[in-house]
Amino acid sequence: MTTTHAADPATVICAAAEGVFATVAEVRRLTLDRHAAAVDTGRPFDDADVSGLAPAFVELLEAADQLAVGLGIILEPGTLPGHPLRLEWWQRPPGRDAPVPLEVDLHPDSIGFYDYTAADWFAVPRRTRARHVVGPYVDVHGTDRYLLTLTMPIEVAGRFLGVAGADVPITGFETMVLRGLGGSDAILANDEGRVVVSTSSRWITGCLLPQQRRRAGVRLSRLPWELIEPPLPEPARAATSGEG
Amino acid sequence: MRLLSGDARDALLTPLEGGGRSEAVARRLGSAIALGLIEDGEQLPSESQLAATLNVSTLTLRDALADLRSRGLVETRRGRGGGSFVRMSPAALARLSHDRLAEVGVSDLREIGDMHAMVAGSAAHKAAERASPTELARLRDLVSRMSGARDATELHRLEGRFYIEMAAAAQSARLTRLEIEIQGDLAQVMWRLQPDRSAAAVAGERAAVVEAVARHDGDLARRLTEEQVDGDTRRLIEEHIATTRSRDREGGPDDHHPRR
Repeated sequence: MTTTHAADPATVICAAAEGVFATVAEVRRLTLDRHAAAVDTGRPFDDADVSGLAPAFVELLEAADQLAVGLGIILEPGTLPGHPLRLEWWQRPPGRDAPVPLEVDLHPDSIGFYDYTAADWFAVPRRTRARHVVGPYVDVHGTDRYLLTLTMPIEVAGRFLGVAGADVPITGFETMVLRGLGGSDAILANDEGRVVVSTSSRWITGCLLPQQRRRAGVRLSRLPWELIEPPLPEPARAATSGEG
Repeated sequence: MRLLSGDARDALLTPLEGGGRSEAVARRLGSAIALGLIEDGEQLPSESQLAATLNVSTLTLRDALADLRSRGLVETRRGRGGGSFVRMSPAALARLSHDRLAEVGVSDLREIGDMHAMVAGSAAHKAAERASPTELARLRDLVSRMSGARDATELHRLEGRFYIEMAAAAQSARLTRLEIEIQGDLAQVMWRLQPDRSAAAVAGERAAVVEAVARHDGDLARRLTEEQVDGDTRRLIEEHIATTRSRDREGGPDDHHPRR
């Protein structure tokens, strides 16, 4: 069915983001449940508890309409006894069917070491205790993807345990937003002024908006994103509605 | 999620097209070791797992591991807690790059260099348009670490990461992937380049590119990058010619293999 409709851009974008955050919230719930189960039996949350989350994470990743290509948890240093740094992250690499665990270099002395505590998707939720979105950015070194990473803090009685998160390829997110927008026009920019999704071929995904255009933005609710309405409405056109 | 070595490792440990021979497997694993994607002392996945990852037979993989063992890059321990472990010494890497440089021809090196100049030049040009302050900070950090590099191994790894981060700052997954492939190709031969360049000199050249990117001067960033890559290529070719000419005096290719 071909229709021309003009949806409210903020509503469409927030709904798409909330859909991904629902997955992140589920990752967080699974983690908190396991944490509570450990505490209930009077023992500390440990490495086996974290490893035990894997099947549930894989199942979530393999759900039919899952936009995320990677998800899991990254723990605050010191959360697990004997494991300064620990993460349990699963991803679906391009061209491979089965999800695989992300293996990273967590040796502080090696040159390949990546100090995840300094990464924005970890540091921002730790500092603000609020959820955050990073990207779009190139998944350096190889999964060949341009991603958004959405994260939420995991807290127990005010103590920060780490973050739950999901990686979403920008293309999947963009398709969802463009279909939802129909005839409406919008430029969505992140907190660095980088375009996330746009209906303008002048300001495309990945480019940086000049300062003067950024000031015209409207901040979206609970997202580090601004919506910039294009100054000149583009000609109305028929859009294929993908909502049906 | 951006977690450096894990994702980089995925890039090199991808299935080889059409199966691949043991030389190709050894080359790929050698690159991963040379780039530091597999660390010294790290245990490799089991033979069956690694063979499946690379899409080769277990037999082919065993031949490749035997080759790396003879070069002193892999050590195999038997019994409980056994397996294959990476043994990375600067001497073994220098020998590896010596051998690899002797295997290729001048035109191969020129081809890699031309491709690299194109990819890295375009990446710098686009990064000048699209790099965020965070990405610029990451590039500056790499440059400052380069100037303090302790040895050739660290300098080469940081340089490789610099080029890859530049392509990522261009917001291009495709340029990033090409750059990773080129770094994989270069990793094993670049070790010969060190003696005539100080870490400070290399870092200074890269810093000039980062500042051009920061000033949004894409044309300058491209030109400087192309000049730097062309210079490196010329030095590699000089090294290759010198190595090949002196080859007879150093013995055959089996010279570096320990005798049993």
